[in-house]
Amino acid sequence: MTTRAEQSIGASGTAAPKRRKLSRGQAEALAAFLFIAPDTIGLLVFVAIPMLFSLSLGFFEVNGFGSYKFVGLANYRRMLNDPLFFQSLWVTIQYVIMLVPGLYVVGLGLALLIRRKSRLSGLFRTMFFVPNVVSLVVVALVWQVLLVDRVGFINQLLETIGLPSQSWLGDPTYAMGAVLLITIWFLMGYYMVIFLAGLQEIPRDYYDAAKIDGANAWETFTRITLPLLRPTSFFVLLVSTVSAVAGGQGFDLIYVMTKGGPANSTQLGIFYIYMQAFQFNDYGYASAMASVLVLILLLLTVILFALTKGGRFHAT
Amino acid sequence: MSTDDSAQQGISRRELIKRTGKIAVATAVSSVFSPFSINVRAATTKTLSFWQFYGPGGGNALQSKWFEDAVNGWNAQSETKVQLQFVPNQEYMNGSKLQTAFASGQGPDIFIISPGDFLRYYNGGVLTDLTPYMDDAAKKDFFPNVMETRIVNDKIYGLPMEVEPMAMYYSVKAFKEAGISESNYPKTWQELFDVSKKLTKGKRFGLLFDTTPGYYQNFTWYPFMWQGGGDMVTPDSRKSAFNSPGTIQALKLFQDSIKLGIAPRSGLGFGGPDVVANLASGYCAIQNVGIWAISGLRDAAKDFQYGVFPLPIPPNGQPKSVLGGWAFVANAKGKDPETAAKFCVWTVGSMSPESIERGVDWCIRAKSDIAPRKSVLDKATAEGGYNSGPMQVFKDQIFPTGRDEPRVPPDVYKDVSDAIQNCQLRGASPEKQAEETSRRIDSFLASYSGATLK
Repeated sequence: MTTRAEQSIGASGTAAPKRRKLSRGQAEALAAFLFIAPDTIGLLVFVAIPMLFSLSLGFFEVNGFGSYKFVGLANYRRMLNDPLFFQSLWVTIQYVIMLVPGLYVVGLGLALLIRRKSRLSGLFRTMFFVPNVVSLVVVALVWQVLLVDRVGFINQLLETIGLPSQSWLGDPTYAMGAVLLITIWFLMGYYMVIFLAGLQEIPRDYYDAAKIDGANAWETFTRITLPLLRPTSFFVLLVSTVSAVAGGQGFDLIYVMTKGGPANSTQLGIFYIYMQAFQFNDYGYASAMASVLVLILLLLTVILFALTKGGRFHAT
Repeated sequence: MSTDDSAQQGISRRELIKRTGKIAVATAVSSVFSPFSINVRAATTKTLSFWQFYGPGGGNALQSKWFEDAVNGWNAQSETKVQLQFVPNQEYMNGSKLQTAFASGQGPDIFIISPGDFLRYYNGGVLTDLTPYMDDAAKKDFFPNVMETRIVNDKIYGLPMEVEPMAMYYSVKAFKEAGISESNYPKTWQELFDVSKKLTKGKRFGLLFDTTPGYYQNFTWYPFMWQGGGDMVTPDSRKSAFNSPGTIQALKLFQDSIKLGIAPRSGLGFGGPDVVANLASGYCAIQNVGIWAISGLRDAAKDFQYGVFPLPIPPNGQPKSVLGGWAFVANAKGKDPETAAKFCVWTVGSMSPESIERGVDWCIRAKSDIAPRKSVLDKATAEGGYNSGPMQVFKDQIFPTGRDEPRVPPDVYKDVSDAIQNCQLRGASPEKQAEETSRRIDSFLASYSGATLK
């Protein structure tokens, strides 16, 4: 203990050797590391390490009551013979294929519509963004009532214009479409704001020059707006793809509105994983499936980065 | 001395950062590893946690008060106290709270489960044998058809607080409008469809079966399978019995109700179990729902006039209903399983007048249920709880035809659920679904090693 006290005195500075002064570069590097340290530690503790544990759980049979039994690749072999796993993957693929372009088109469309400042643009921006601030559970419950068979508002509306009513959440043909539309409605304001920021980054001069050259609206959009929006587009595509595969908002909506039904037609991969873990207490199998889902996400991200040269759009 | 020296000198910034870092890493590692450190018990505490879903501020104040009174009564005479924790209904039944609590070794000491969930917890080794704490008289007092799914190898692992049979509820107004006499209620499946066709009018559906995938939908479908002699597994539970005419016709019943346009594909409110949002609102004229709907209507739709009739049967079928209901169980890996077990027995499983009166209170005052014990049923009957109306129909006509809700592992439940959903809402062939499901159940049973399925 005496030694510790001495060490403490030494370290406190009274008898310490002269400190080496950091160079400007070293000091900046140290500051940078310190700034990113909280995020890095957070990611490590709450994402990376749990992911590693999840990966390792995939090799165990875990019953959720304290029993862990090493089973090697059994969970992965089971996955290969599980039609529901493949069905949930197929549902996820459909969801991603329809949601990502849908969000892109609607988000960009709204941003283009309201980018010009007018007396009402603020109102419209708020209106489009409002769904995004409402609790998803509330959104799901409200839409559930609006979409219910025969008496729901949407069906009543259809009947007034002479169209037959449908079971939007009870028919496997329409259920996923309904969930998709609600997800787009919910998220469109968020992506609109991102696109608005991207649009405002494009110098006005380019549009003026295009106008002088006689470019029409379509040519201006395809030759100036879209190319210069590539970094924003990359961000939107990456974030919406990751969110769609990982369940993001879809999980909450499905949990409240359909419970994965009718007949598993809205059972996303992430929902099936949840069911296996928390309804069937099969944490090992759920972890194995989660690992596969993470692998798919990584692959998608790598492909997106490769296609866009790592997001450096202006690199030659 | 040295500690004082150190304190006087303070610590350097570098040392402070080092120590903080060590604490952060230790905290992070311990939190990440916590799922693997099972059964970390606070041995010194003398309070047992009791989780259930009848919270204060719910639809019926008497129900949460019943739990509070029971716990207060126990705490007044026991050194080891019990503390109630209310978990929202949806979170308790379909959420992850209970599961994550058990997975991290923090499960409640006392909780309630339905037969559908029994095997999950029994096979997980967290249910305490309550038999040693019960009198022989009390063991015999519970009805055998209610206890069947709570017993393994003659040991009792759950004490039911209620019995909840399924029936058909109808709107008196809708019957009158359609010119249907209440005494002429549908007794067969064909009659049910015929009457439902007459009742389907405008925005109103004639009939409502549950359509949401889950334990509850399976629960509502089982009696229709049993009526025609079908079952999920053989009596020794070693082989599937799912591919049978009884099962196929029950799958077809749910399918035809949708095909004929007399039943909706999705319900209002909480769907199938929600009688106020569906039957009382006029969304449907007949609803397949359980005895709890009586108190539900009493609390939320006092003026709504309704009647109850037993589940209609198929040609050559036998009257059958399914008996649901929740049971008290004690966590074998909890802080004090023995006291938790004693609490369960004291509350709902002893022959003391207080325990019997508590059962009466729950079944005919706080809620509307059939009593799971003879003594409680006799007393509740003597007090007029089953003397008239729907409660009398349930006690005299439906309960005697009841069979306890099956206990099956989640894998079997999911296979059966998929078969029901595929037939009802996707229009799949009942024959093929029965065959495929039977094959899957057999495949599962081949490697199953838990308690017997019932």
